[in-house]
Amino acid sequence: MSENKIVTLAEDEPLNLDGGGSLSKFKTAYTTYGKLNDKKNNSILVCHALTGDQYVASDHPITKKNGWWSMVVGPDKPIDTNKFFVICPNVIGGCMGSTGPKEINPEKGKEFATDFPVITIADMVRAQKLLIDYLGIEKIFCVTGGSMGGMLVLEWLSKFPEMVHSAVPIATATNHSAQNIALNELARQSIMADPNWQSGNYYHSDKKPMKGLSVARMAAHISYLSKEALQSKFGRNLQDKNSLDYSFDADFQIESYLRHQGFTFVDRFDANSYLYITRAMDYFDVSSANNGSLIEAFKNTQSKILCVSFTSDWLYPTSENKKIVKVFNSLGLNVSFIEIETENGHDSFLLDEPKFFEAIKGFINSTFENL
Amino acid sequence: MSLINENKDFGVIAELIPNNASVIDVGCNDGSLLEYLREYKNIDGRGMEIDQKKVQLCLAKGISVIEGDADTDLYDYPDKLFDYSILTYTLQATKSPKTVMQQLVRISKKAIISFPNFGHWKIGTSLLLNRKMPVSKKLSYSWHETPNLHFCTINDFIDLCEELEIKIEKKGDLSNKKLSNFSGKNFLDSYFNEVGLFLVSKD
Repeated sequence: MSENKIVTLAEDEPLNLDGGGSLSKFKTAYTTYGKLNDKKNNSILVCHALTGDQYVASDHPITKKNGWWSMVVGPDKPIDTNKFFVICPNVIGGCMGSTGPKEINPEKGKEFATDFPVITIADMVRAQKLLIDYLGIEKIFCVTGGSMGGMLVLEWLSKFPEMVHSAVPIATATNHSAQNIALNELARQSIMADPNWQSGNYYHSDKKPMKGLSVARMAAHISYLSKEALQSKFGRNLQDKNSLDYSFDADFQIESYLRHQGFTFVDRFDANSYLYITRAMDYFDVSSANNGSLIEAFKNTQSKILCVSFTSDWLYPTSENKKIVKVFNSLGLNVSFIEIETENGHDSFLLDEPKFFEAIKGFINSTFENL
Repeated sequence: MSLINENKDFGVIAELIPNNASVIDVGCNDGSLLEYLREYKNIDGRGMEIDQKKVQLCLAKGISVIEGDADTDLYDYPDKLFDYSILTYTLQATKSPKTVMQQLVRISKKAIISFPNFGHWKIGTSLLLNRKMPVSKKLSYSWHETPNLHFCTINDFIDLCEELEIKIEKKGDLSNKKLSNFSGKNFLDSYFNEVGLFLVSKD
């Protein structure tokens, strides 16, 4: 499949950031699949979620697992790489090779850690735009992504509307609700409460904030699943035992499952990156650059759009996705909307959901045929 | 529930719509009417459909479609966004035909509405002679399983338009594929048209 590639961007002029400050000569790690055609009109930019990365359809170098969207992206898959040129960059602030807190700050010769500037979703999109320029693509055929990836899609539609032919924002929102922010704050506090976090300077220490990051992941994982899914998958089943232990060990399967999710996550994710990326999501409000007006934010958008939500997603519920649809409708845009019935919660966009796949495939292929 | 999959109806509707118009088809089924209008009238079309299987068919045809409900989701559109709205064979299945009609004439400059005419002589005869709820090709459901909640006759529809101050501009006769200007209630229409089809508007 695809080799990981790393490119240095903003070599001539720095990337100015929303929070002040700038990044120059920053790295973007990315993967590509399929071939860019001669007309350069078959590219699909896939934007990953909070803990995703560029390994969208190739095996992850650390976990050795299939790419996070390998059911969607690949030959003869809903996003068919026989036909499309798929690009998936790791966001800035991430930890899989793009410039972020664990990378070396060239000015100081050591890791950025918390010297890394606080970035926004718009900053990530500006960085992605430099990658698209570098790849020589003037107009992306389709930008897609779920969750935070969906926020990036919305920001693309707002910031660079002329560069986006079509878009599929999935299970997302135009900004974070108080509940969304609260959950992220819980995660950040659990990382920072771990004494091994050491104010972010743990890169050369034997002690890393694994417990804090693990608890952050456990809390987040609960929010990705629905009550029904948890109940049907685990119920009150006990883990490898027939009776309660009357201890604080993992008696219940759900406890064991969450602990496993937490432990395995720390091997592949950087705690500081988690702080920075959740902050970017909390700050996200696609209308903020337009005095709070969503209509203004998308007034130059001409793209064909498909919005997707999932019935049991309580983190980015249908109501939030419908708000996006309403704005696009108000502007008379070519917008479609589909709500997939599933009990898999927010995580549905990463799981085997045939109706979801059918919708994406139908939209993308018919849009391409009508180019 | 929409039975309008016979292209003969499409032709009559297409005659009412000028080239390049923007159109929303509410209850757009599998998108075939929008596809037809796109081909013959180069319209800029949108659909709304409650049945997800049909939404998927629309997506695969490249038709922009909202999975939604005419009773609740028309509020999302601004006033007069579309040149035309179309509601074929759906009015009788809505919870509130009155509000749906008000929404249609709000979001579009003109609305094309068609519905099964409960005043048709065959229906009257079925009730009169058999004392049975009518089941026919156009009304294919038994009374206990029908999605149709609000049947009306052509004359009922005309009365409702009057009450809502909606102007009826044209009427259609689908069996003869004929359109004509509307000039008030007409015994022949209400008795012999299986389907009522009207072009209406409200400023």
